[in-house]
Amino acid sequence: MVATATRGKYAVQPHSQEPGSPDERLVYLVDKGKLAFRGEYQAIWESACNKLAQAGYGALIPLSYARHSPKLVKILNPEAAINLSASVSLAAIKVNRAAAELLPKAAVIAAAELKSSHSFSSWIATVEELIHHAPESSLAVLERTQKIVSTLTPDRFRSWVLAGLRSTGDDTLRQIQYFSFVDPESEKWFLHEAGDVVFTNLERKLKLYLISLWNLCPPMRDLIASSAPLSVRRISISNGVIQVPEVFPGFHDEQAETIFRAGIAHAGAHLMYSTKKFVLGELKPIQVALVSLLEDARVEYLAMQAFPGLGELWLPFHTAKPSGPKLVPLLLSRLARALIDSGYRDGDGWVQKGRDMFFDPGNDFTDPAMCRRIGGLLGNDLGQLRAQFNSKTYVVEPPYRDDNMGLWDFGDRQGQEESDEGIFIEAMRTSPQESDDDSSSSQDSEQSDDRNEQQYSARESTDSEHRESEVAVRYPEYDYLTGAERPSWTCAVEYFPDFGDALKIDRILEKHSKLVNRITNLIQSAKVSLPERLHHQSVGESLDLDACINAVISRRMGETPDPRIYSSTERKHRDLSVLVLLDVSNSTNDKVQTAGTSILELELQATSLLAYAMSELGDPFAISAFCSDGKEDVHYYRIKNFDSPYDSSARAYLAGLKGKLSTRMGTAMRHATSDLINQHTHRRLLLVVSDGEPSDIDVDDQLYLVEDAKKVARSISRLGIDTFCVGLDGSGDSYLHKIFGKKNVAVIDKLERLPERLPMLYFRLTA
Amino acid sequence: MNLDSYSITSEPYYFPTHNEVQLFEAAYASRMPMMLKGPTGCGKTRFVEYMAWKLQKPLITVSCHEDMTASDLVGRYLLDAEGTVWHDGPLTIAVRHGAMCYLDEIVEARQDTSVVIHSLTDDRRILSLEKKNEVVRANQDFQIIISYNPGYQSVLKDLKESTKQRFGAIDFDYPSPEDEAKIISHESGIDDKTAAKLVYISERSRNLKGHGLDEGASTRMLIYAAQLMAQGVSLQDACEVALVLPITDDRDVRNALSSAITACA
Repeated sequence: MVATATRGKYAVQPHSQEPGSPDERLVYLVDKGKLAFRGEYQAIWESACNKLAQAGYGALIPLSYARHSPKLVKILNPEAAINLSASVSLAAIKVNRAAAELLPKAAVIAAAELKSSHSFSSWIATVEELIHHAPESSLAVLERTQKIVSTLTPDRFRSWVLAGLRSTGDDTLRQIQYFSFVDPESEKWFLHEAGDVVFTNLERKLKLYLISLWNLCPPMRDLIASSAPLSVRRISISNGVIQVPEVFPGFHDEQAETIFRAGIAHAGAHLMYSTKKFVLGELKPIQVALVSLLEDARVEYLAMQAFPGLGELWLPFHTAKPSGPKLVPLLLSRLARALIDSGYRDGDGWVQKGRDMFFDPGNDFTDPAMCRRIGGLLGNDLGQLRAQFNSKTYVVEPPYRDDNMGLWDFGDRQGQEESDEGIFIEAMRTSPQESDDDSSSSQDSEQSDDRNEQQYSARESTDSEHRESEVAVRYPEYDYLTGAERPSWTCAVEYFPDFGDALKIDRILEKHSKLVNRITNLIQSAKVSLPERLHHQSVGESLDLDACINAVISRRMGETPDPRIYSSTERKHRDLSVLVLLDVSNSTNDKVQTAGTSILELELQATSLLAYAMSELGDPFAISAFCSDGKEDVHYYRIKNFDSPYDSSARAYLAGLKGKLSTRMGTAMRHATSDLINQHTHRRLLLVVSDGEPSDIDVDDQLYLVEDAKKVARSISRLGIDTFCVGLDGSGDSYLHKIFGKKNVAVIDKLERLPERLPMLYFRLTA
Repeated sequence: MNLDSYSITSEPYYFPTHNEVQLFEAAYASRMPMMLKGPTGCGKTRFVEYMAWKLQKPLITVSCHEDMTASDLVGRYLLDAEGTVWHDGPLTIAVRHGAMCYLDEIVEARQDTSVVIHSLTDDRRILSLEKKNEVVRANQDFQIIISYNPGYQSVLKDLKESTKQRFGAIDFDYPSPEDEAKIISHESGIDDKTAAKLVYISERSRNLKGHGLDEGASTRMLIYAAQLMAQGVSLQDACEVALVLPITDDRDVRNALSSAITACA
């Protein structure tokens, strides 16, 4: 839009003093522009203009450059103006003429906003990066220069651009949607980078708040992207799921946190007290709005009975004034305020009537029916006043209140049920974000306790794999280019593993019977360790006679005796839990020539032997496998959980593993960690078995996932969990060392020996 | 040996919530080893003190900790100018001279400690001091009581089955809101209404158990908050000092809890 307007302006209405033909105009602009430069810069700039003019980009690009770039001299410096020509050239070659023509103008806007040449050069660098990676989208970004530079610092701008490139892969259409803010993700990340208080960052606090107040733990999630502008998006409750807008525009810092809290408290009040849905029946839209408003007031009234402090949370958002035109939305705001603010005086008869009816002592506040009755009457009154009400443009005020759609039973009118179900499923997928959310939420308990049961029911009811997904949890991912994690960036989806032949695992053990014998012997010695006697201790169960005698001798000699005169025994017992994380990406299907079988097969053999060792040792252990299909679909298969036995079904799952898709290691490790962290053993070990470098279909930057995995490995060790990686790629030293650290990697070069090496490694690691 | 210093001379305040006093008296009549279960700060220790006072018996309390060994309970040889001298540990003193011995948070102690008490907790009622080659027969007044908090201890720290089955048990929980308010106002001197509000607030933090908190605010914490308020500290500040800050270092949980307390005010 801006681009065409700009072009149009110059083409059709040349500045009054400028000559008519493009060539003449260029000469005029160059003559005028070079006055801004001093000394040698004058000539360099002039030649830059000429270069652009002769490069065959058309007449408008050099004109735009000649017109705008001299302004940069004053704001920044002559170099910035001259260097810009190279970027313009790049845009002309890589993108199109419109973008190249717009760039000088956008540069002036950016320079005026950024004011420092350092910031400006990082802005230009990001623009060039964008031109290289997503040329089709650069025009859209340049058009929005004002919006972008006035909100984001150049670093944040880059983060936002990278978020776009990373989330869209090389899908040009999606890129364009992202960079022209059509894709709601774009706005979300824009706000995220702008540092506004966003829901994602507050989610845990809000959840805990609701648990604390009412012991409610409803699933919460981002509001599903809608076409409504951000300013009118409201919290929405349906089927017990609270959907929250990512941001409340216009509310910053503490204020923003307060409105989120007010909104969640209001939603909690609905969940507690709005027990029945209203039947829509023949109600007019204004009556629906009124009944909803009264219901809001009723649940808030009840909530404030229990928690008087909530009044202070909600009241400041009621800013309606008892004056102004008598438009229905304004009257509704005034009524809303009159019902919550006892100090508010409103001379309007209708508002006064509403208040009187609401607080009539005969009302039973525990019954929503009172709202329906009063709302109907008040609606009729408004109808008689012939006040106009447009339900399409009506937005619930104040903004912390929810859209009240969840209060109504729309019958068949809107096909509500279908969409609700969709939301619920979506919510199911993201609900167990927090691993410590325990049984109080029904879904969580289902997921953890009745996993088996659910598994079977899901198996019966579905046929396609996708619908078998049970849990989906979002995780951040680290971007080394920005040095920060993007919250909720990837999604680990738990799928039910396929059933294989459990006997296959038993056959593996039979085949490796010699090895099994060796393992059994090792287990004996690992299990029963002799108690070790510790002498010369400062604390102990018994006296160390030698030390005592020495101490007494020292004393008699007038020296200070050594107080360490006790001895004790220590029996070392095993106290560790292990999670084995298997990489089952497509590359594991590769044949290993020397073994005559695939990598996956060797992984299975090794894991069966390891599992045998672990179960015989009695160490709590879990086995999971992962592969990935883009950032939104990181497959995670639980073969065996910590609390389930290593029985035939676990073995069947293990045998059923198939190699497919890619290797997004970091996300899988994050998901595995959330399990391991709940193990209360002295040592916790995450044992990753991988055959290749982290990679995924939507990532072309080789370093990106390696750096993310490295970040995860580090943060895991900070939690007191050991990580160890068994690399099945002879050439994998470099990146595996980078991710896990040299000491924590064992690369197995002769893959056929993996089944033997893995259990031995385990003994060594856990000795 | 004189156990007067272990006697409880004045009546400790204890508010019976059920029939635990009668149950304990009956158990004491047969010197049955007792196990008191319940979350921290719900009054287990106070109950034992009260019972010791009521039964007019000396009470020896041992707070168990991770480094505590059997010798710390039973006794050990120490050196003096002449040579080595045996010193009875607190358990041996109680066994020999007839006191109630209360082992607080027994699961915290090393496993060998709980085995030491086995011979005391069945019909033998003896304590063998291996190092000293002595068998101590329990005085007829001796009773052993342990406390045990099944809530926050992990599976790792659990009593052995053989230990558990040697005890009778009384389960403690936080008192009902009305009773708890009475206890708080008695212990701190604040009025009943404020005490009731504190109890209401504690409900907010008990809701968070399992969601970032291992335990909700105990009665003890509420009494602390009430004591601060009795000194003129505002409700919000008293709760912050006594209920929020000690209980967690997790910022999100703190934030949620503080906001919930504000909502109650």
